[in-house]
Amino acid sequence: MRIFIAGAGKLGYKVAEALSRNGHDITVVDTDDQALQRVNNNLDVLTAKGNAAQLQILEQFNMERTSVVLAVTDSDETNILICQMAKELGCARAAARVRDPAYAKQIDFFSRRFGIDFIINPDQEVAKEIGRYLVQGGAIHVEQFAQGRVGLVEYSVSLRPELAGRMLCELDVFHGLLVVAVSRDGEIIIPHGSTQLAGKDVLYLIGKTPDLKAFAGDGEPWPQRLLPRNVMILGGGNAGFYLARHLQELGAAVKIIEQDEARCAYLAENLRNVLVIHGDGSDHDLLEEENLSQMDALVTLTGLDEENLLLALLGKQRGIGRVVAKVSRSNFISLIEQLGIDRAVNPVLISAAAIIRFIQGGQIASLSLLFGGQAEVVEIIVTEASQVVGVTLADLNLPQGMIVGAIVRGSQVTIPRGDSVIRPGDRVVVFCLAALVNQLERLFYRPRGGFLRELWHGRKDSGNPSAD
Amino acid sequence: MNFGMVGRILGTLLLIEALILAVPLLVSVVYGETAASAFAWSIVITAAAGLVLTRIKPGSDTIKAREGLLIVTLGWAAAAVFGALPFFFARAVPTFIDALFECTSGLTTTGATIINDPEALPRGILFWRSFSHWLGGMGILVFTLALLPAIGVGGMQIYKAEAPGPSADKLVPRLANTAQLLYTVYLGLTVLAVLALVCAGVPLFDAVLLGFGAVGTGGFTPYSTPIGSVGGSAVPWALAVLMILAGVNFSLYYELWRRRWSSLGSNSELKVYLGITVLSAALVTMNLVRSLQYGWGDAAKHALFQVSSIITTTGYSTADYSQWPEFSKAVLFMLLFVGGSAGSTAGGIKVIRLMVAAKLVGREVRRMLHSQALVPVTINGRVVPQETVASIASFVFLYLGLFVAGTLLVALAGTDLFTSASAAAATLGNVGVGFGLVGPGNSFSFFSGPVKLLLTVLMLVGRLEMFTVLVIFTPGFWRQA
Repeated sequence: MRIFIAGAGKLGYKVAEALSRNGHDITVVDTDDQALQRVNNNLDVLTAKGNAAQLQILEQFNMERTSVVLAVTDSDETNILICQMAKELGCARAAARVRDPAYAKQIDFFSRRFGIDFIINPDQEVAKEIGRYLVQGGAIHVEQFAQGRVGLVEYSVSLRPELAGRMLCELDVFHGLLVVAVSRDGEIIIPHGSTQLAGKDVLYLIGKTPDLKAFAGDGEPWPQRLLPRNVMILGGGNAGFYLARHLQELGAAVKIIEQDEARCAYLAENLRNVLVIHGDGSDHDLLEEENLSQMDALVTLTGLDEENLLLALLGKQRGIGRVVAKVSRSNFISLIEQLGIDRAVNPVLISAAAIIRFIQGGQIASLSLLFGGQAEVVEIIVTEASQVVGVTLADLNLPQGMIVGAIVRGSQVTIPRGDSVIRPGDRVVVFCLAALVNQLERLFYRPRGGFLRELWHGRKDSGNPSAD
Repeated sequence: MNFGMVGRILGTLLLIEALILAVPLLVSVVYGETAASAFAWSIVITAAAGLVLTRIKPGSDTIKAREGLLIVTLGWAAAAVFGALPFFFARAVPTFIDALFECTSGLTTTGATIINDPEALPRGILFWRSFSHWLGGMGILVFTLALLPAIGVGGMQIYKAEAPGPSADKLVPRLANTAQLLYTVYLGLTVLAVLALVCAGVPLFDAVLLGFGAVGTGGFTPYSTPIGSVGGSAVPWALAVLMILAGVNFSLYYELWRRRWSSLGSNSELKVYLGITVLSAALVTMNLVRSLQYGWGDAAKHALFQVSSIITTTGYSTADYSQWPEFSKAVLFMLLFVGGSAGSTAGGIKVIRLMVAAKLVGREVRRMLHSQALVPVTINGRVVPQETVASIASFVFLYLGLFVAGTLLVALAGTDLFTSASAAAATLGNVGVGFGLVGPGNSFSFFSGPVKLLLTVLMLVGRLEMFTVLVIFTPGFWRQA
């Protein structure tokens, strides 16, 4: 697929990275030389300098032959303009990032009148994600696949202390579930039967949705595991705004602390039944005055990663049950789990996953990025030509770090074992480390390797240098 | 430093070279020559070395700038060493250093030869000599990238280190596809060249060899005398046009194919390159007519041929220009340094670098008058980033520095100044023909072994545009941190 990305910022980069790994032809346009240089050095994509809203640039890259235009520059208006122009020039699909809440109500209008097929609002996605976490409690519903029949759940061992110290093969609590990865101190462990669980581990489980619900449900760590009553939000940006509105609608008492007076006025005007406090979120006295320690949940959403992390740590120290921090730089994510913060939400990864899902819609039906992008869970519709068809999983010898989590055939979901066989037309949900995505593609999409592949790997199979 | 990956890619390169050597082997077998066994042994040795290296299991498959530079330098060196084997085994040259000189000269598209009478060589060897021009022209590692997309992102580091010109731009998003496109253009141009030469009356075998040399801007010919007696009177004109075409940035042919005419018209490097060629040819023509009483047509033919041969760093000749008037020789000597456009198969400094350097001088002059003025250096209406300007300036300086050092070292062996200077310039710029003892029709065979080795290194350093090779000899390159 030919994909044109306007904007080489964090989001543009992440999307370009994931899509180029999956074999698409990508062009990235930006006005900033340094951003382009970074893209050029690390990714196999074409870069061009310029303002993508210029007709000249769009014409140069032939919109009629472009499948998707993705506008993720830092200006909403430019993004909308780029998409509109690209559509006018004949590109098949267009997606834009639009952040301003003022436009939130006219998304439909943009789609209908301007023909923009997909609009992503990272702040809203972040608010949704945090909302989901706060409302659902311990087990975090990360993603759904196969129209909701299969789910991926992140589950903390601390919710069931009796699991700690036991080996996976001794445990019989995972009925019909597959433990695809364990996150320990920010590192990914690919588990096997003799992996011993530790108290602070986070498990990644794939399984049928009802089984997952049953498992996560009877863990029930807190009887009151419903909505937190008192929530403090530090930082009244757009994400804070959406989150406050959402929680307030569910009946929580929400406090927002925001530094900027004009912004406070805006929040107070537009949010009902939310207490808006004008002040510095990093001021201890203010936080004490506002009863930080009495909160059920603390969410830090200021514009600075460092501030969010420090304030979240402070919250944890004061014994707040659930603390969530927004962190935009994905390489910090592994660090955060070590620090003991309950959850870090990364707007870039959440948005990237949503965009990739939109773009790849066909073959990769669903995708989510885990561990700050170090691993992916993808849903793939297997074609006839794929190498995995007709071989038992045991004989496939998938590399360590690539796990088939579920096979969906029609309406029937199977959690596979060694003797399971994939047939053409099946949807498979696969967990895969980012380093192995190339191989994933090779195994699941491409026909069996030819001479040159042999030459490259020095042997006949599809090659897997990491397994030996 | 990821040595595993370096070794593996070098091994792959050698396996590909072994496959490529099968082509001259075939030629040798078809003509029923004994040189076939020389090729067979070379293939066995190259393939064995390649197989050993490809057995390496790299710890990771990342290629950073360092690995890219090392792969390119070692890759060219290895290709030259193993490519020299057939010359040595077939006893076409007396020593291995001669074989190495000949093969490096071929791969770097220099065309400086140490063979005095090529007519006596087996056809397989002649074919391999000229075929190496064709392979080296577009870059042997670009060839590898075109065949092996699996190298992936790291390929960009290799592409950058090998690409001729100050910046390496991709034509399409995927590097492997870019490499394939470049080779498609290259192949098309080669077929065109061979057809044109056959139509002009050159026998097919010679046409193929001359075509490889012209499109790869190499310069090996199967004759010991200047071209001119072979085929019809149209041959020099056809070759001149082909050489000029090979000196154009290949991405422009892609633009042409995409029917983006405007990018052709607005390309200032193309204009300057053609301008220099036409102006020099006109000057030499007038000089020849006035001093040597040539007819206008004859003078124009020889002048255009010689000018395009030298500016594109090919090194063919239709006449012994050593006998030409001093002014004509001076023009040709200057052209030894120019080289064709960036992104072509030509060597030399490259027109675009000279343009930037000239504009830099212009800027300094303006700043003498307006000390506070902000004068950006622009090419094609776009500002050239300050770092690029600085790197181009240091490139030109280093190029001239290496030329001076090369001249001194060759002169140390007792050769006259004009020969020494033009030998250094002709090898560093991958031209392959100079003045004096290394003038047209002469060979480099009279140089001593060490001088041949020095010139071999100059050819390699010139083809890889100096920095790629030089950085490897700095201690910082090998430091882990």
